[in-house]
Amino acid sequence: MFYRECGVRHTTYAADRALAVIPFERALLVLLIVLAAAAPWIVTDLFLVSYLTPWLIWTAAVLGLNLLMGWAGQIHLGYGAVMAVGAYTAVHVARAGAPFVVAVAAGGLVAAVIGSLFGLPALRVRGLYLAMSTLALQVIVDWILVQVPAISGGAQATLLVPRPHIFGIPLVTDQARYWTAAVFTLLVALFVANVRRTDVGRALIALREKDYAAAVIGINVFYYKALAFFVSSFIGGMSGAALAFLYYRAVTPEQFGLNVSIMAVAMVIVGGLGSIIGSFFGAGFILLAPIWIEHGLRELAAALSVHISPSTLAHLPLVIYGGLITGFLLLEPLGLAKLYDNVRNYLRVWPFGYTKK
Amino acid sequence: MRRWVYWVLVLVLAAGLAAVPALAQQKVITFGFPVDYTRVYVFVAEEWTQGMVDYLTLMNLKGGVGGYTFDWRVVDTGNEPQRGIEAYERFRREGATIFNFISTPVSNAVAPRAMEDGVILLMPFHGRSDAADGQTFPWLFSLGANYWSQATVIVQHILEAEGGNLRGKRIGLVHIDSPFGREPIPVLEELSRRLGFEFQSFAFPSPGTEQSATWAQVRRFRPDWVLLWSAGPSQSVGVREAIRNGFPLDRLVSVIWLDEKDMNIVGAAQARGVKRFEAAVPGREHPVVQEILQKVYQEAGKGFGKIENVGSTYYVVGIASVAPVVEAVRIAVERFGEPVTVDKIRAALEMVSNFDLNGLMPPITITPQDHEGGGMGRISQWDGSRWVPVTDWMSAFRDVVWEMVYKSSAQFRQGQ
Repeated sequence: MFYRECGVRHTTYAADRALAVIPFERALLVLLIVLAAAAPWIVTDLFLVSYLTPWLIWTAAVLGLNLLMGWAGQIHLGYGAVMAVGAYTAVHVARAGAPFVVAVAAGGLVAAVIGSLFGLPALRVRGLYLAMSTLALQVIVDWILVQVPAISGGAQATLLVPRPHIFGIPLVTDQARYWTAAVFTLLVALFVANVRRTDVGRALIALREKDYAAAVIGINVFYYKALAFFVSSFIGGMSGAALAFLYYRAVTPEQFGLNVSIMAVAMVIVGGLGSIIGSFFGAGFILLAPIWIEHGLRELAAALSVHISPSTLAHLPLVIYGGLITGFLLLEPLGLAKLYDNVRNYLRVWPFGYTKK
Repeated sequence: MRRWVYWVLVLVLAAGLAAVPALAQQKVITFGFPVDYTRVYVFVAEEWTQGMVDYLTLMNLKGGVGGYTFDWRVVDTGNEPQRGIEAYERFRREGATIFNFISTPVSNAVAPRAMEDGVILLMPFHGRSDAADGQTFPWLFSLGANYWSQATVIVQHILEAEGGNLRGKRIGLVHIDSPFGREPIPVLEELSRRLGFEFQSFAFPSPGTEQSATWAQVRRFRPDWVLLWSAGPSQSVGVREAIRNGFPLDRLVSVIWLDEKDMNIVGAAQARGVKRFEAAVPGREHPVVQEILQKVYQEAGKGFGKIENVGSTYYVVGIASVAPVVEAVRIAVERFGEPVTVDKIRAALEMVSNFDLNGLMPPITITPQDHEGGGMGRISQWDGSRWVPVTDWMSAFRDVVWEMVYKSSAQFRQGQ
């Protein structure tokens, strides 16, 4: 049902390697893009500002981290710091008078250089050891932000973000910011989806499975690991800048602390390693679930007219949220993307389920 | 069978729509308190919020102010700017016009939005210290001594205790290594130039549960006085280290963040003598606190939290941080008439003059230039069971504070 493959004939290589092969999925993609473009007229502006915009930008960031963790198989516990480097660079460049697009690109570039510098240990160490060396990036960046007021913005450690302009059009309304975020995320998603089906993507996957074996079949492990760190940090830096310009409007060190790095890793794992749609799910779940669980509990308590003390009401969502993460990963260790995939696979052959292997 | 379900739904929806304008017509002023109940500001959030809400409840029970009653929205932000912004955007659409986040990172992250949207953001004892500059930050209100003012008040106390001469004395600052911990340093450096004392700062890394290495350095410096500049669990660690190093506790003065709980962690009797900056009168003797106990807790049973919290250090800080706003609403009704809008409340806040809530807090006078209100406070001392004031309400070295404020707010304006 829906995801039907009948009538899909791979007559050319190009058709075979298209991003979406199944007609239904193509239609779904178009529908989602149309819905995303029309969102300002569909949803309330609260929804647009508080949920959609940060969710989309975070998805872009998670896509960058997923490229590194999901495809190249390298753990990164300092992704928040990478985003911080991007955000602070972009804001300083913009305050010096550069246009928004240039500032974001500069943020991405500086983050990429610093990020790949700290990725160099990945050439020698793996797993937990790499986790430690990327954690060092986080600690160093946090320390610098706290110690150097010239970077973090004076005694108050808050930098106001200049108003972004795109080709002379100021992005003042919430809608303009949302659309910019949506286009940015779409571009990043397209980029990552395309990386997957190039020789680079295949080399990264080979690396992830076993780097010795990859070296044996002729992949330059050194080059591709460094490349993965560079590209991932570039996306991370740009996402950090986008977050600063389109969402936060002021940068403070706490916006990119260690807990943010852990959150990013959680988004990748809960969403699904190496999955694009999983990045959307993961970012949405980790970002919005605590807020909505809190709302739900509040409504429930009000409906049942049960009095819950505000402190308990604050802690209860954390318990449920933790339970949900554990539950989802127990149900499907490969993340939310795999849950979606299960449904899709079921529907693809429905009602002939026995044709599945 | 199913059809009646739809009818019920339609009816509920219609009732809901009908209820909306009815609510809008009520004369209500809504506060937003998205605070951090779960991460960093846990040590203060519960009592502070309880103080604010209980005071507003008391006002409502007394019939409101000028015909206006108060409503509030409380939610946890987990100290995450992202969640703070979400709560801000939501509450603002639900009609909240006055916010207090009790969290520096969240307040600072929301500040640009509040200034664009025209929403009053209260930053007492947290947030931007330069919010005192009302010309640069028309929508931000400190409503209490910022950290620079607290440093000057503490030095003034030391100056008086030393008989008016600090030449040759040594003052150390033991602080957490964060922007907050570093904030008093330029003020203390300037005062050391002026008064001739020797100043040195000693940082300990966050979260500050381990300070023995730092205190070994402090000992080598042989300070006459030590300022304690941190918050939360690290404070009791600092006091304990002072005791362990044999430092006389009556020469240990803390920033505002030191309360009864910290003293009990150290050991109430062992901590005797510790001093701190105080911004409101703790305890249950004050008539306002008595009234809250009686009317809100005993008669109405509408207390927002545990009754044991009533009158604690941070509870009265909570009262002191909304009382000027309630006063402003009274002024707004009186001077500008109804309907009271957020613009009128903002303008009225700048007219609050010599307001001290019958002595619960130092008198504050807010003007369009000064959103801090005078930067007054006093020093109190732990006597083993409670905090006893050792000075009157005072402010000192205002020129030093204002120099800092203007320097910082000029930096902010550059980015606008």
